[in-house]
Amino acid sequence: MVSRILMFVLLAVVLATAALGGWVAPHDPTAPLGAPWRGAGPEHPLGTDALGRDVWSRVLAGGAGLISVSVLAALTASFVGVAGGLAAGWAGGALDRAATALTDLLLAVPSLLLALVVAVALPGHTAVVVATVCGGAPLTLRVVRDAVRSISGAGYVEAARCRGESGAAILVREVLPAMKGVVTADLGLRLVVALQIASALNVLGFGPSPPEPDWALMLRENMVGVAMNPWSVAAPAAALGLTTVLLALSVQLAADRDPVAPRWRRRNVHVGL
Amino acid sequence: MRPPQAAPSGAAPRRRSGVPPLRAPLWALARGVLLLCAVSVVVFAATSLLPGDAAELRASPGATEEQIRALREELGQDAEPWRLYLSWVGGLLGGDPGTSLVNGRPVADAVAQRLPATATLVGGSLLLAAPAMLLLGGWAGSARRGRAVPTALLTGGAAVPTVVVAAGLAALLSGALGWVPAVSLLPPGRPPIQSPELLVLPVLSMALPTALFGGGLLAGAVADVVGRPHVADARRRGRPPWAVAAVDVLPFLMAPFARVLAVAAGGLIAAATVVETLFGYPGLGSLLVSSIASRDVPVVQTVALLAAAVVLAGLALADAVAGGTDPRRRTW
Repeated sequence: MVSRILMFVLLAVVLATAALGGWVAPHDPTAPLGAPWRGAGPEHPLGTDALGRDVWSRVLAGGAGLISVSVLAALTASFVGVAGGLAAGWAGGALDRAATALTDLLLAVPSLLLALVVAVALPGHTAVVVATVCGGAPLTLRVVRDAVRSISGAGYVEAARCRGESGAAILVREVLPAMKGVVTADLGLRLVVALQIASALNVLGFGPSPPEPDWALMLRENMVGVAMNPWSVAAPAAALGLTTVLLALSVQLAADRDPVAPRWRRRNVHVGL
Repeated sequence: MRPPQAAPSGAAPRRRSGVPPLRAPLWALARGVLLLCAVSVVVFAATSLLPGDAAELRASPGATEEQIRALREELGQDAEPWRLYLSWVGGLLGGDPGTSLVNGRPVADAVAQRLPATATLVGGSLLLAAPAMLLLGGWAGSARRGRAVPTALLTGGAAVPTVVVAAGLAALLSGALGWVPAVSLLPPGRPPIQSPELLVLPVLSMALPTALFGGGLLAGAVADVVGRPHVADARRRGRPPWAVAAVDVLPFLMAPFARVLAVAAGGLIAAATVVETLFGYPGLGSLLVSSIASRDVPVVQTVALLAAAVVLAGLALADAVAGGTDPRRRTW
C-alpha cells in the first residue's frame, strides 16, 4: 500500500515537473549562455551542451512536448480500441471475425517500422499517433472484446436487456463501468509504448527540429560530448527513463489490484516495440 | 492375437489432433504471404503520399514544370498508382527493386552491402538475449514468494525506451570508463565481426531491453507450467530442481519461447533503426532512416518491405515450431 502511494506520488511529481518545467527553468533553454561542454558547476548545475546552453533548463523544458504527444496518441489508441472492442464483443459474428483478422494484420508489423513509414509522408506528431493507434488499438480491442464477452452474460446486463434498453445504452451504462480498471491499465500501457515510439522518432530526427529542447533529441545532440560533460546525456536519459519506468510500474500496481486485469496481462504478448 | 498390454502408469491415451501434420505450417505460410501483400500495399501507399516525387528530386533547381513533366515521363513515374505498384512488385519479384533517387545506384547493391552489418547486429543481440530471457523468465516465474520484485524489475526495465538504454550504456562504458568507442563507424567492406569492439555498445543496447521484455512475457508462461500437477509431482518425488527445470518445465516452454523470440526479433529489427543511427553503425536501419530523411522512395520501400518480410517469416516460423513442440502432441 505504501509503495503504491509512493509510486503514484513520484509519478505525479515527474509528470508535473515535465509539464511545468518550462516555466521554472532558470535560463532560456535555447539561448547560448557560456562556453560549450562545461561540466557541472554552481551557475549551470548540469553543465552546458555543444552550443553552451544550460542542460538543466533544457531538461526541465524538454519533456512537455514528448509527453503531450504521447498522451494524445495513447488516448486516441485507447478510444479506437475500446470502441472497436465494444462493437466486436457485443455484436459478435462476422464483425467480430473481421475485427480479429484486422488486429492480426496490424499486430504483425512492428509499430516503430510503421511509424517510420508514416513519418515519410506525415509530420512527426501524426506519425506517433498513427503508429500508436495501429500498434496499440488492436491490443486494446482484444482486451476489451474479451472483457465484454465475459461481462455480457452477467445478471445485471441481462436485467438491462429485459428492461428493453438499447445496445448502446447497455454498453455505456452497464458494461463500460464494469471494466474501468481494465481500460485504465491498458491506457497506461499504451502511454508507455507511445512514449517509446515518440522518443525513437525524435531521436531519428522526425520530431521537433534542433533548437527546440527535447529529451530524446538531446540524447542524440549531446552524444558527441559525452566524455566532456556526461550529464548532458545522463540527465535527459534519466528523465525519460524515470518517466517510462514509473508509468509502467504504476500501471502494474494498479492492475494487480484489479481482479480482471491479471488474466489478460499474461497474453498481452505484443506489448512493446 | 496379442494379449492386451498394460499401459504404463501415468501415460494417458494420447489424443491425436485432427489436423494433418502439414496443414498447420502451410496455413501459417499462406497467412504470412497474404499479410506481406497487405504490408506491401501499405508501404507503397505511405511512400506515395510523399510531397514531391522522383522527377522533382532529380530535376535541377531551376527546372520548369515542362522539364519536370518530361523527366517524370522518362522515369516512367507518370502512370496510374496501381500500375506503378504492380511494376514495383514485379521488379521486386524479379530481383530488381529499382535504383536510388539520390545517387542512382541500384537499390539491391546498397541493401546487399548493408545487410551483413545488420544481420550481425540483430543476430548477435538475439543470441545474447535468448538465454537471458529464458533465465529471467524462469527466475521471475518460479519465485514462490515475493514475485513482486522480479516482476517489477522486468516490467520497469522493459518500459525504458531503447534510446535511453543506448545513451546510458554509452555514457557509462564510453564516457565514464572509456572501454569502447562511442561511435561505431565501420570501414566500408569490412565485416563487422572483425571489429568486435564496435559491436559492444549497439549489441548490448539492443539485447538488454529485449531480454527484459522477453523475460517478462515468459514469466507468465513459466508460472503457468510450474503450477501444473506434473511439476509438483516431480518435486515431491525428490527430483533435483535443475532436472525439474530441464525435463518437466522446459519442453512446455518451447511454444511460448518460440513466439516470444519471433516478437523480440521483430522488435530488434525496429530498434536497429534507432541504435544504428545513434551509434553511426552502417546497417540497413541507418540506411532506412537516412533514406526517409532524403526522400529516397525506392530505398525506403525496399528496406521497409524486407524488414516486414523478415518479421512475418519469423512469426510464421514460430507458429510452425510452436505447433510442433508441444509435448502433449508428441506421437512418439
